[in-house]
Amino acid sequence: MSVVKRASVAALLAPLLVFATGYAESRPLEERAAECVACHGPGGSSSTPGVPSISGQPQFFIINQLILMREGVRPVAAMADVLKGLKDEEAVALAERFSSTPIVRSDETADPALVKRGAELAVKMRCASCHMPGYEGSEQMPRLSGQRIDYMIDALKAYRDDKRPGADTAMTAVVYGASDADLAALAHYTATK
Amino acid sequence: MRFTRKAALGGVFLWAFAAGAAYAQQPSGMSQIDRTNQAASKQDPGLRPHATPPVATPAEKLPLDKIKLPAGFKAELWSSGHPGARSMVRGDKGTIFMGSRTIGRVYAIVEKDGKRETKTLLQGLTQPNGLAFRDGALYVFAINRVFRYDNIESKLDNPGDPVELTQAFNLPPEVHHNWKYVDFGPDGKLYVQVGANCNVCEVNPGIHAQIRRYNADGTGMEIVARGVRNTVGFDWHPATGELWFTDNGRDWAGEEGPEDELNRLPKGMEGANFGFPYCHANGVVDPDIRKPDACAGVVLPAALTGPHSAGLGIKFYTGKMFPAEYQNIAFVARRGSWNRAQKFGYDVVIARPQADGSAKIEPFMTGLLDEKANAFFGRPTYVLQMSDGAMLVSDEQNGATYRISYTGAK
Ligand code: HEC
Ligand code: HEC
Repeated sequence: MSVVKRASVAALLAPLLVFATGYAESRPLEERAAECVACHGPGGSSSTPGVPSISGQPQFFIINQLILMREGVRPVAAMADVLKGLKDEEAVALAERFSSTPIVRSDETADPALVKRGAELAVKMRCASCHMPGYEGSEQMPRLSGQRIDYMIDALKAYRDDKRPGADTAMTAVVYGASDADLAALAHYTATK
Repeated sequence: MRFTRKAALGGVFLWAFAAGAAYAQQPSGMSQIDRTNQAASKQDPGLRPHATPPVATPAEKLPLDKIKLPAGFKAELWSSGHPGARSMVRGDKGTIFMGSRTIGRVYAIVEKDGKRETKTLLQGLTQPNGLAFRDGALYVFAINRVFRYDNIESKLDNPGDPVELTQAFNLPPEVHHNWKYVDFGPDGKLYVQVGANCNVCEVNPGIHAQIRRYNADGTGMEIVARGVRNTVGFDWHPATGELWFTDNGRDWAGEEGPEDELNRLPKGMEGANFGFPYCHANGVVDPDIRKPDACAGVVLPAALTGPHSAGLGIKFYTGKMFPAEYQNIAFVARRGSWNRAQKFGYDVVIARPQADGSAKIEPFMTGLLDEKANAFFGRPTYVLQMSDGAMLVSDEQNGATYRISYTGAK
């Protein structure tokens, strides 16, 4: 990380953070980030089924999810250990790191028929209004472009079935009652955008 | 009209049956419940909800200097550093309990040795926005669970296990528009919001889009208002005892509305219909869900509170600090719009009840919206009258509260 980058991290920390969590000392960013890439892949781009890429996500989205996981609002058993004692400013620094690392697109093979169907559905269901026209995400809305298809299929089902408590109920409302087949089509399409 | 609990349960089964049939006719792939006609909307398709930061703004960066009030009033910082600040209730011993949405926390703000301290009382709940206090107990309504913490003010450092009332209240599981607002009415009953779980859709009037009341233990459910899309705040007029509530209008039907509502439930009309999904605002017929005589029998609002303005908390003022003309008028916090290109709201307004049962809306706390830049600095969500007559306003965006006091016109 260049000197210039470090400066920008510090600048971000200052305005964002005051909440004293009362946890132990912060740990070095490198040490924390090394734990993340063990699961999320080099640079945060995952080639492991079921594990999402976190590279190239909006910084706000990553901060939000890390804090929601730490608080137990979105319980993720796999991450419980690494999030123990995570301070707000550490979440901000990790998010800065991974959001500024470009995503290596998932190597899963998208089904062209599903991509076509997904494209039609995405227009009707207004997916791009929140996730942005290029599906690169914005603030609390995650990047879908390049994300793992298998992970997104599971995520969409979880929203539909009220099994992913999260930042907002908006996603649950969007996919209310949608079929598994339609959710798969949406994942195939948005991943390839 | 009053539904007993049995009737409501019967409604569940009927609804499940009817819903199955209705779903088959939906264009496949559309959200099965939302009946918005995307193609007909002329609004910028890029509009999307604003993010709520999970971390608080440092005290020195708070937008206090932006806040404008009528002559004689002043705003000062009361508390900060609690992300997601929303609903507020006061305990008998002066603790301010504060609910939130995304961050899933309930805070307790206490004064100790002349200093104010914020504790994170509860964590990991799903949008615990519904708080009420009665007989020493704090009632906490998250989207999916209901708890009662007895004698809470003597165990703020370790609240222990609550009495779980989830089953007794038996609220519907759908999450959307079901972050709760709750409060005890003058009749001692606990009033509970149950929103429509969509932007606009046909709801079963026995389950969604209502205000209900219960005995404090969750028994004796009655529906007091129907056709209410999403109220997130209510209070009772100090003189008439009538229920007044905010209600947020639907999205994607235009920049100018249908406008949000401030409603009054006239005495003796428990169970009345407020129009959703067929009839909005001052008799605006829904463009997507039609039925003949859409507004017949609908109680129209006491006042319109502006397009997409998101009126949330409401409190009638009964304190001694503000001038006499503020007695029994309501303060309404407007969180501010997202489904509108030109931002609107982000303020606290006054609703002045009129002899005919309507209300006049006037500005009170402004300045958090820069209309020229189309940018906002904070989002007022709830108001609370303090024992000295000052008023607290919570700011969800910044994780802070402001104390509004009257110091006399100078
Ligand atoms: C033991 C494996 C493991 C480790 C270590 C780990 N993660 Fe995760 N992470 C996961 C899994 C699995 C998920 C998906 C959880 C789910 O399905 O809901 C996830 C989800 C996430 C998400 C949400 C992504 C999304 O698109 O919803 C973020 C952000 C994240 N992890 C960041 C991190 C960071 C930062 C670290 C290092 C501090 C880290 N993770 C360490 C396994 C891990
Ligand atoms: C009203 C705004 C909105 C719309 C419309 C919307 N989304 Fe989302 N979406 C969000 C938000 C906010 C999140 C993050 C929620 C959370 O914190 O769990 C999200 C999360 C997701 C995720 C989880 C990704 C991850 O990495 O965890 C997927 C997949 C997704 N959306 C797909 C879609 C698809 C497909 C559509 C159209 C059918 C759509 N979204 C429409 C706001 C929206």
